[in-house]
Amino acid sequence: MDSTTNMKDIEWARINKDVLGSLETPRITFWIVLAVCSVLVLCGVAAEVYQYNHGLGVALMDRPHFWQLYISNFIFWIGMSHSGTLLSAVLLLTKADWRKPIYRFAEAMTLFSILTAAFFPVIHLGRVWNLYWVLPYPDERGIWPNFRSPLLWDASAIFTYATSSALFLYIGMIPDLAICRDNARGWRKPLYTLMSLGWMGRAREWIAFRKTYVLMGCFLVPLAVSVHSIVASDFAMSIVPDWHITSFPPYFVAGALYSGCAAIITLFVMLRYIFKFEAYMTIDILEKVAKLTFAIAMVWNYLNLSEYASIWYSNDMYEHEVLIQKFIGPYWPVVWGMLLCSTVAPFAMAFKKFRQNLWGMFFLSLVIQLGMWLERFQIVSPSLASNHEPWTWAVVWPGLIQLTITAASFGWFTMLFLIFCKVFPSVSMYEVKELVFHHRRVSARNEIEDLNKEKDDMIRAQEGLA
Amino acid sequence: MGFGRMLENWAAFRKDDYYDNEPYMWGMAIDLNKCIGCGACVTACYAENNLPVVGKYHYSQGYAMHWMRIERYWDEPDGHADIDISQKPETPMYAHEGTPQEDTVSFPERGAHYIPMLCQQCNHAPCEPVCPVAATYHTPDGLNAQVYNRCIGSRYCGNNCPYKVRYFNFLDFWKENYDGAPLPHPLELQLNPDLSVRSKGVMEKCTFCVQRQRDAKNAAETAGHPNYVEDMSFMTACQQTCPTRAIVFGNMKNPKAEVSKLWASHQVELGRVLQDKTEDVRGYRVLEDLNVEPCIMYMDRVRNIEA
Amino acid sequence: MRRRKMSVLFALYDDFDKARDVVADLKILDMKELVVEDIELYSPIEHPEVEEILGDISPPIQRFTFFGAITGAICAFLLVAAAAQSMFTVQPQGGKPVIPLPTDLVVTYEGTILFGVWITLLGFLIYSGMPRRRLKKFYSHKVSEDQIGVEVLMKPDNVEKVRETLLSSGALEIREV
Repeated sequence: MDSTTNMKDIEWARINKDVLGSLETPRITFWIVLAVCSVLVLCGVAAEVYQYNHGLGVALMDRPHFWQLYISNFIFWIGMSHSGTLLSAVLLLTKADWRKPIYRFAEAMTLFSILTAAFFPVIHLGRVWNLYWVLPYPDERGIWPNFRSPLLWDASAIFTYATSSALFLYIGMIPDLAICRDNARGWRKPLYTLMSLGWMGRAREWIAFRKTYVLMGCFLVPLAVSVHSIVASDFAMSIVPDWHITSFPPYFVAGALYSGCAAIITLFVMLRYIFKFEAYMTIDILEKVAKLTFAIAMVWNYLNLSEYASIWYSNDMYEHEVLIQKFIGPYWPVVWGMLLCSTVAPFAMAFKKFRQNLWGMFFLSLVIQLGMWLERFQIVSPSLASNHEPWTWAVVWPGLIQLTITAASFGWFTMLFLIFCKVFPSVSMYEVKELVFHHRRVSARNEIEDLNKEKDDMIRAQEGLA
Repeated sequence: MGFGRMLENWAAFRKDDYYDNEPYMWGMAIDLNKCIGCGACVTACYAENNLPVVGKYHYSQGYAMHWMRIERYWDEPDGHADIDISQKPETPMYAHEGTPQEDTVSFPERGAHYIPMLCQQCNHAPCEPVCPVAATYHTPDGLNAQVYNRCIGSRYCGNNCPYKVRYFNFLDFWKENYDGAPLPHPLELQLNPDLSVRSKGVMEKCTFCVQRQRDAKNAAETAGHPNYVEDMSFMTACQQTCPTRAIVFGNMKNPKAEVSKLWASHQVELGRVLQDKTEDVRGYRVLEDLNVEPCIMYMDRVRNIEA
Repeated sequence: MRRRKMSVLFALYDDFDKARDVVADLKILDMKELVVEDIELYSPIEHPEVEEILGDISPPIQRFTFFGAITGAICAFLLVAAAAQSMFTVQPQGGKPVIPLPTDLVVTYEGTILFGVWITLLGFLIYSGMPRRRLKKFYSHKVSEDQIGVEVLMKPDNVEKVRETLLSSGALEIREV
């Protein structure tokens, strides 16, 4: 049974029912998972309060490791956010239909990743209470933030990305919110009524909507590329050996797409299982996402290996030292772990049987995400450990505070995502209807063609006989 | 801000040499031949600049706040280290891995190099453009200024310093030893009132004793020659304390200053990445191929390896 | 000036073919007898063919986008350049100029996108007539589910003629306001 057969048989009313059914009162498992996430978040808050009061020394960062897990987590979460943009915006512009059932939760993932990432530049500051000084506002000292600093570009890029992604998600959700509004009771009804802005499905609304959506998609693609390039500039614009690499911006963008696609697979399998979305999130679509992930894995691997090759042939003694230390030095478990999880493991996706295996892909996506988290860590620490000045070489592993806050970030993201899945439809109903409609038309046209062919054959047969 | 003033600023800024008309360019020359690694300069810096003594444990963790530090490297004349490492469990490649270094190593009689490393006050400082809040910039004097009040502690400058001479207050070190309380009387009298005591979350580094510079300039102005401070009329704390007079500090714009003469005689110039000098001249700048334009010249140690 | 009171008929259909037929019929009726003031289509998904029959109402949202992007670029660049001017004393940093174009380009780029997105959104809200405080009285939940609605605005005298046309294509329900 291929998906085309299934797709065209789905009734529109059933799509509404299935997806709205996912918004019903959650079972006990939901509350348990939410409780666990809340506990993690509270632990993180406690760790941060302790760190705020005592200084960053409690995080066990030291000279020369001025940056450690907070920055690598920041990059990880911003990276994960690129998946939604890729899926919604890029595949929208390339008219890939298979994105339709899955882009809603991917976009939600984008927004929540950014909201998670936004905490890290805050908590990694030495004087958090003066954070607002990075905002460009006129103060009595007449001093503005320093726009030459990549951290400032970060601030503007993340702000732009957060607002644009939120708006993109929201605009795309308006027709669905109208459906929810029409079927809601209780506290949900005023929420959806407000958020759907009075959408009634009129032709003029649809035309304006489609145009706006495509225009915003056109903006979001270069934005996503630029955001992670700017985050990469935090490293690429510095003087630190093995950070000052021109291929860092595309390398980071490729890595972001890679970890984001892996996250999409993870959530795909989970949502399909929990909400029983088998009719919409088909194995066919999983296979397509797997192929996309594999392609991006190859791009990322190429950029990674070409980085090593360029450094090796550069004859620069500082960069050589860091590269060698990455593989045989104190951080070797991180680097080899990353290579195993992100370079070797994805080759499983070369096999069709594996691509179509749900739980195999789920496990692989978790492995890939672990590999990409290790990749962010091995970007930050080994270069600082083996910097220009040998006297300052030091090995530092992240302390309990940093690990607690890392775990809390995962808890926070999961918490936001869980709440989203229960308040807003995680499958885009109107897009799935469009998909069904399109498949129906295509198969109807195919039927007519087949009938015409039969008619022609019969006429020819008759003429032959005559 | 007036349009006229803006044009003035631009005209001044866009000259080939921004520091052309400035009367001062503070620089240093350190003779490694004379340096015996005694550490008096380090101690003097601690005393002069209100540096916190962090204690043995925090030092082993890497939180030491010594703006001036003595780096010790060992000779490897035959291609292998002179150090007998058979008794030591770990090679001393990576320092402070959490435990204080045990003194189980036997060191050879000679072969030690000492480099006093301090902020090089780079004219093309990589630490300056990367601060998100403009807490560090270059003064017309040629100093790299760190503004403690503005620093929010993002530590990008620390990463970008190739010499790693920027020190971050990871903890409130002055209060660490007293359980968060301020110094008990009369210990606060040890502090130098001419400059601040930095709290946690702020980046700091050597300033070429800017408080002493300010005093000297004030004295010069009172004496009637505001743009001229006589050479050796004031010294940085490290220069003042060095028993062998290895450290020479002064105004490189003054051709009669000791430091200018040393730079000239060792054929090291500001404004060049690769110096054009004869083979035997000892002067060099650390990591100058990174094009950071450091203002400190080191004179290489001459060692007689035959005797 | 008081507007003539208009009647509204709202009919629901099963699929797009019926809706397209009825809109075509209404257009023919209008050409012959001038009875219809306005037709609007209500649907759960977009359907370009029927919209074509309704008439070309392509909103010029791209103009908003263009001007938004230009404004964003200019504003962002001015912000950076002006800020650099006002804190001139801290401009000597690492030997960089006062208005370093590569770094200013980055912030300008982000400003372009930020304003472009926001003003496109503004264009969308203006041309779609949203947000509406109240839904139309005849709005049916079936529109968001699987039925297509056709709203016809006409003078009260022509109601019966239009109703006939609507019924002839197989309307599931007709509401009158």
